[in-house]
Amino acid sequence: MIKRLGTALAVLWAAATASYVALLLAPGDTIDILVGDGPDTPEIRTKIITEWGLDRPEFVQYLSYLWRLLHGDLGRSYQLQRGVGEILATQIGPTVQLTLAAAGTGVALAGIIAIVTAGRGRWLRGVTSAAELVSVSVPPFLIGIVLLSVFSFTLGWFPVSGAQGPRALVLPALALGLPVAGVLGQVLRGGLERALEQPFAVTARARGLTERALVARHALRHALIPALTLAGWFTGTLLGGAVITEVLFGRPGLGQVAMQAVTGRDMPVVMAVVLLSAVAYVTISTLLDLAYRVIDPRIRG
Amino acid sequence: MKRLIPVLLLAVAACGAQPADSAPATTLTWAIETQPITLNPQLWAQNKVRLLVFNQFDALLSKAEDGSFRPWLATSWKVSDDKLTYTLDLRDDVTFHDGTKFDAAAVKANLDQFLVPGYNPAVAAIQLKAFDRAEVAAPYQVKITLKEADALFLDFLASPYAGQVSPKALKSAKDLRFGGLDLAGTGPFILDRYVQGQEIHYRRNPAYNWPPAGAAHRGPAHLSEITYRFLPEAAVRIGALSSGQVQVIEGVPATDVALIKKDPNLALQTSLNSGTAYSYYFNTEHAPFDDQRVREAFREAVNVDAVLKSVYQGTATRAWSIVGAKSPFYDATLENGYGGDVAKANALLDAAGWKQRDAEGYRVKAGKRLTVREVASAPFVRDRRDILAQAVQAQVKQNAGIDLQVKIVDQGSAQKALDENEYELFGNSRGDSDAGAALNLILPEKAAINRTRFADPKVDSWLAAASATHDQAEREKLYARVQRAAVVDNAIVFPLYVPADQIAAQKSVQGLGFDPASGTPASAYDVRIGT
Repeated sequence: MIKRLGTALAVLWAAATASYVALLLAPGDTIDILVGDGPDTPEIRTKIITEWGLDRPEFVQYLSYLWRLLHGDLGRSYQLQRGVGEILATQIGPTVQLTLAAAGTGVALAGIIAIVTAGRGRWLRGVTSAAELVSVSVPPFLIGIVLLSVFSFTLGWFPVSGAQGPRALVLPALALGLPVAGVLGQVLRGGLERALEQPFAVTARARGLTERALVARHALRHALIPALTLAGWFTGTLLGGAVITEVLFGRPGLGQVAMQAVTGRDMPVVMAVVLLSAVAYVTISTLLDLAYRVIDPRIRG
Repeated sequence: MKRLIPVLLLAVAACGAQPADSAPATTLTWAIETQPITLNPQLWAQNKVRLLVFNQFDALLSKAEDGSFRPWLATSWKVSDDKLTYTLDLRDDVTFHDGTKFDAAAVKANLDQFLVPGYNPAVAAIQLKAFDRAEVAAPYQVKITLKEADALFLDFLASPYAGQVSPKALKSAKDLRFGGLDLAGTGPFILDRYVQGQEIHYRRNPAYNWPPAGAAHRGPAHLSEITYRFLPEAAVRIGALSSGQVQVIEGVPATDVALIKKDPNLALQTSLNSGTAYSYYFNTEHAPFDDQRVREAFREAVNVDAVLKSVYQGTATRAWSIVGAKSPFYDATLENGYGGDVAKANALLDAAGWKQRDAEGYRVKAGKRLTVREVASAPFVRDRRDILAQAVQAQVKQNAGIDLQVKIVDQGSAQKALDENEYELFGNSRGDSDAGAALNLILPEKAAINRTRFADPKVDSWLAAASATHDQAEREKLYARVQRAAVVDNAIVFPLYVPADQIAAQKSVQGLGFDPASGTPASAYDVRIGT
């Protein structure tokens, strides 16, 4: 367990350093960004340089960045004129909500589809495979627009924007969760079908177990491990999808903050978001490792 | 809730405020494209959120469409003969949202705030470069002294930067740079909720009775509450409007104008923006645009009307000068002066020595292709300007064999290309309420965004003279000279179109309009529902 913690810390340090270096190497000068469209005189430049401590050597700036990070100080946004910690604190809630809802939707849909269609007739499989393929290959932006046009603009069932109440969460969660459901559904069904052909399945059937009980009690466990790994990975990548979904649906959240920060070269915010996603990844993969032990008795031994 | 409203009204009436029964409880939701990066008017930097500033704050003066100034929180003003002293008489009946009184000391505190180092270096260096000091001459009279004459100072007093903030809040606000609920103004609405990425919400200021001259009514605002939702995607804004989820939107792309006009329940308004037209600036420092013939040839090779029609479906207004057509300084005599003469374009290029053609049909001189690069920063590309660039690219290739390369890159890369002189074309428009302020940033040799790298002492002296006089006719004359020099005599700029703003709304919403100073949507003060 201590070893795991050490690895996790190393990953976080690497993420912090990598994002720092990447932004250092990115074209353009931080001072230019801070000057922006405004007037540009040597006096203004000097003022800005001292204000942000940009006159120190890069390595010193990096060390002071790490030092402040250790104290939980994420710095101040160049663009938004506020503390990064404060920005993230107000924006993380809606994103966590959206990500969990989307992951939940994806996993639930995938589970239902896989259980219903595994080993069934050819036409049913064909239809679901096609649907899965569409949900994976259509860009989330388009899925979002189509969902909005149908369920919000035309039918009026769900509001277009805002983070108030669960009704406003339905469409964004679907837009973000459908591609997850598509991929997971295929993996899960494949796993189920393989499991149902294994000798233990034949034995179980010989014991007189119904097909449904067989799937629920035995086969699903087998199929779950690869699907779970994939689901964990997906949850990590959902932040990327959240960028588009949040902007489209006018939702607050880290995604749109990250996008604004990247295009505006708002280094403190970008680095904080990268760090936060690293934390999310590490947490999820640790939780998954624990979950494997519960699902698969062989790993416990 | 229904039972609550009469109680609230009673409470308001009991406070001895303006009778609120003349303005019943009505609410409105307005979807806007852009989020504010700050709610502090003194640090305001986005024309797209100007409509929010004057809900919460009032400026000292207000600017009319013809460029003249009208009273607002200052009832009158006097400029001394040497143009160095401004004496402002202030309203004596104005209170900030935090209950403190607005007076001469407040105006002085607001002006002095800009002197705090690093507070707003841009405004300190440009709009307030001539500012020396402010003095309280009487409780409601303030005397401002300048170091040198500055015709743009009144424009500053009418800008969002002159939005008056409670001096108490300037000292005690939790986050002064960002602003927010505790940054009290005097405006018709009181900010009471801001959710980044989602919405901003205001309620009516029941005591409000000091609108600018030119407002459509007096007393408190008609709406009791207004919510602005941030919906950056145009398609989503329009869907939300046509399905009745919001009552007003701003920012209607040309492709959706027909859709709005077809809908019998919706109304569309547009207004040209103040400031400069969207123009291509030629980098005159190196080849090929160091040769005026090539610059003129580029302009002649483009049929601007056809390009605008295909890109904006006929909704764009063609520009003929660097100054936008809405500005009182616009020189209309420049109209139809250039453009669209393909034969002339080719003759000019032949004369400039670009005679040969390569296998792809591009012109060549001394083995070098006639290539020009436009570098644009992605966050600033709006209004389908990327598509516009592609249309221009196709025309100059087909009509004159010019290879226009359009590079839309991140802000850092764009800045780098500009600093290192690795560009030939630069596209830009500015929304300054006084076009002269924009020209001061673009044309003088040492100007901050002199992307043409062009220098003409005559132009610099005209601009300086125009900045120093309050004589509107004299300024018009000087700016006409400047425009002629830039557009005709030296052809350093290729004006394309005048940016505009659109408001689309349910027909039941009345009183929507545009800020006469900027051409951007006005505040919600005069907006009402019903007839």
